[in-house]
Amino acid sequence: MVRKFQVGIRIVMFALFVCQNAGSDSLPKASQWIPQDAVITFEMSKPADLFHLLLGPRIEKAVTTAPEYQALANEQGFKELQGVIRYLETTLSTDWKTAVKTLLGKGGTFSLLPENKILLTTDSEDSKLLSQLHEILYGFAKNEAENQGNYDRVKSKEYKGVTGYTFGQDEAHCIIDNRFMFTNKSNVLKQIIDNRSNSELKSLSTLENYQCAQSTINPEASLKGFLRLDILNQFTGINKVLTKNLNPLAALLLAGLPDSLSVSNWLSAGLHVGEEHLSLLANIDGKLDTSDPLSFIGSNGCAGGVLPIIQVPNQIASFSFYRDLYQFYSAKDDLFPERTSGLIFFENMMGIFFTGRDLTEEVWKEVKPEIRFVVSEQRYDPSIGAPAVQLPSFAVIFKLFNPEKFGLIAEEAWQKAIGLVNFTRGQEALPGLLIDRPVYKDIKMTSTYFSSMEEDDKSKLETRFNFRPTLARIEDNLILSSTDQLAEDIIDSVLVGTVAPLEKIPGTHSLVQINADRLASILTSNRETIVRNDMIEKGKTKEQAEAGQEILHRILSYLNQATLQVGMEDNIAQAALKLSLNLPAVE
Amino acid sequence: MNNETAPVDPQWAWAPYSPSSERPWDLKWAGHLYRRAAFGASWDQLQKALKEGPDQTLAWLLDPNGNRSEFETAFDEYESSAAYSSSTEGLRAWWLRRMLQTPNPLQEKMTLFWHNHFAVNQAKVKSGRLTLQRLRLTRKYAQGNYAKLLEEIVHHPSTLIALNAEKNRKTLPNEHFSRMIMENYCLGPDLCSEEDIRDVARAFTGWFLIRNELRFLEREHDDADKRILGEEGNFNSADVVKLVLRHKAAAWLIVKKLYRNFISEIDNPADSLLEPLVNQFREHYDIKQLVRVMLKSNLFFSDAAYRKCVKCPASFALEIAKGFEANISTTCLGRDLAALGQDLFHPSTIKGWPSGRHWINSATLAGRCNLVHALVTGAGSYENQLSPSSLFSKYNCKTKTEASQLILNIFLQNDLEPSVQKQIFQQNPNLDAQSWLKHYIINVLSLPEFQLA
Repeated sequence: MVRKFQVGIRIVMFALFVCQNAGSDSLPKASQWIPQDAVITFEMSKPADLFHLLLGPRIEKAVTTAPEYQALANEQGFKELQGVIRYLETTLSTDWKTAVKTLLGKGGTFSLLPENKILLTTDSEDSKLLSQLHEILYGFAKNEAENQGNYDRVKSKEYKGVTGYTFGQDEAHCIIDNRFMFTNKSNVLKQIIDNRSNSELKSLSTLENYQCAQSTINPEASLKGFLRLDILNQFTGINKVLTKNLNPLAALLLAGLPDSLSVSNWLSAGLHVGEEHLSLLANIDGKLDTSDPLSFIGSNGCAGGVLPIIQVPNQIASFSFYRDLYQFYSAKDDLFPERTSGLIFFENMMGIFFTGRDLTEEVWKEVKPEIRFVVSEQRYDPSIGAPAVQLPSFAVIFKLFNPEKFGLIAEEAWQKAIGLVNFTRGQEALPGLLIDRPVYKDIKMTSTYFSSMEEDDKSKLETRFNFRPTLARIEDNLILSSTDQLAEDIIDSVLVGTVAPLEKIPGTHSLVQINADRLASILTSNRETIVRNDMIEKGKTKEQAEAGQEILHRILSYLNQATLQVGMEDNIAQAALKLSLNLPAVE
Repeated sequence: MNNETAPVDPQWAWAPYSPSSERPWDLKWAGHLYRRAAFGASWDQLQKALKEGPDQTLAWLLDPNGNRSEFETAFDEYESSAAYSSSTEGLRAWWLRRMLQTPNPLQEKMTLFWHNHFAVNQAKVKSGRLTLQRLRLTRKYAQGNYAKLLEEIVHHPSTLIALNAEKNRKTLPNEHFSRMIMENYCLGPDLCSEEDIRDVARAFTGWFLIRNELRFLEREHDDADKRILGEEGNFNSADVVKLVLRHKAAAWLIVKKLYRNFISEIDNPADSLLEPLVNQFREHYDIKQLVRVMLKSNLFFSDAAYRKCVKCPASFALEIAKGFEANISTTCLGRDLAALGQDLFHPSTIKGWPSGRHWINSATLAGRCNLVHALVTGAGSYENQLSPSSLFSKYNCKTKTEASQLILNIFLQNDLEPSVQKQIFQQNPNLDAQSWLKHYIINVLSLPEFQLA
């Protein structure tokens, strides 16, 4: 029995641990007591919204129908835990869900402080229930300690009129009115009690950065987050990691975000919970200096923003970026002074493909900043065969300023590149790419492929058969695709106006959309490869690796789509993440 | 190194070991056998060996009973899938995993031996498919017939690629190729004349590698008479192998290498000691028979062999994983072994890895300690795959003394100076039990004694 209550204590403490509070009727907001040096703080400001989703029947069904849960439910430890919960439910005359909703009903906070200190506060709707629960747990903790002959482990002490308790080691907690507070270091509790008794003392709420951050979060957010980047940047060297050693592609992809983070004092985030989605909006205060070579990205609201993403069949992910390659490449010497030799080599190679044209002025300047990528699952032609490892196809779509003129130049460069690939492979006695010029819906493409004619087993072709590199141009769109099939899908998409009207999304420089079902599908196609990789990469047994895949698939099955939008307003970065859920229906 | 040792009576040396009161079959010799003939052992295996005695344990190592086909089929398939890539990282990881889990460890140990003897570098071969073919070839004949192994190896496409002999033209015989195979694979250095080298190259003319397939072009073969190793005739490449095998030096080369592998790396055995083995080996070139005699011998179970080899990095690391009865990330391990000087599929020279004392220098010793630390603490990709607590729980160790004794038994068969044992035990007294045990394990596995096989 004692063991059951031990488990129970841990469960309830854990339940209290994961939540926070925004303030009850009689107490000031928890942020007024939280020490100012809290590096990360989460505040659960609208617990009802979170409980509606997390404790709702659809999540419950999703969890309880999972085979992993069912396996867990058959374990002895889990059954003991259920016994403890039933005991608490009987003693407190309530069910566990109601108890959780009541105990966290007015919110809670969780803070991470320097030196691995944590602080948790919860505000209950029913202080009597909180006290009752605490008394039960305290009683059992004390009995257990005494049974082990450790009479001093569980104890209480008064400090400035507040009774603090500990169940062992340096853990400490107390209840003030309807607020429960827990910390892993007793001196944090003292600090809180000091803050409570003296409103003149500095707390999180008196921090100017905190106040600024709060103003950027929608008051309707269910969960709010606050990160002190000034502390993180100062002590953890994160800014060094963020800003140094980025290769040019990563720098281009991240579009000044590392620079912004490194000069930011804080990051705020607000989570909204809907019936079918979760959306997170994050802000920072770091403003990119106008002298920063990457500041062009944030200027002028990303010049109108990104284009809508392209939709194709079997789409796994689609990206739309605003990246001015001309300006970016012009600033390369400032951005990557240590990579000069590598860039010169790159420029020389590009010079070969582009017949000696100046890469900056005669190539990148021809490309508009609106760039899109598409990743899709491949459909394999049975007459050609399917590779053993099935990779998704991918394509980049550039928009050209002078499509008629530069389209031909790009095509010539493409064909030279294919020729070089073939020559290099030929040197190693490897099969080359056959070059074709098919016409699809009046669009002439340069398509290439490996012949599978001499392959014996067409069901397990080499990885190279994932690639049929293709170039096509439709209107001012220049498509570079890893397969002809995806190039055709993109042409269809452009022709039927899937992407029309091409109204830009203002203030956004990066837009990413991922479809969970397609992602799951490609993972299924490569399941055996991933399992094997997990075995040698992580040292798992086959069964463990397969179980890991099952869990990943289940998680993906509860997700419909993820959309990430990153932008800049007045050189300040913002990000919005939206997750569309696909929870099981409940009759 | 290369100490001339006092003459040992060959009759006594190669006679089968029989436990006696002077040399009883105990944990020390069980551990010794598993270190040399396998990649270490678990505590269960050591206890079983103690119970069953040397003959039965060796019989099991030479001919493991039970159905292994399911394991072999599964791992053949894993290796095949990894061979699609021109990089050998995946193949290397699967081979290490195979070494760790195989029910036939001596076969993998011998495969590693031949991998080192017939050394070619994958960086030259550049084909995962050919590398896998070569690995399978050495595995197939690891304990089989040396004559067949030699014939297939010298004709394998990977050998020709690695030795720049993809085109053996009549007008331009490749003497570099013939010199390399005669001196490194077949007979040893300084045993062939320049005429031998030239005519062996002529015998190999006609062999062409066309799109990684070996083909014999009759028109490119030099069919004039040749003089090789004192014999004259219209020899082709297959004849060269037969001539080599008729030469006594061919057997001497292998017997000496296996002596270094199984008996001792530090002495220079007298010819009279090895002669009986050489004569026996020359009869049928039966590798398993030779290995059986060595592993069963009085000499093997004597101080002349005990801890007289330095563990190669692969054996060093796999013995740790084996002792903990754990699977580890072999992708990560492959990289770490490369940093310690043993990059599988990339032997450092055509002569293989120098091995012996060359495995140990100040950098690799520090590297070995770092690897032990990473494995035991779960740093990096190893995560917490080695779980000391599971091991202690399995063998019911409840105190620090019991747990530390188990570690000494598994990894050093408790053969450690009492003063050293005491010194290690007394280190880090202020740590909690779990941390103390981790430090203890790291200290034990970093000892010089654990670097020796």
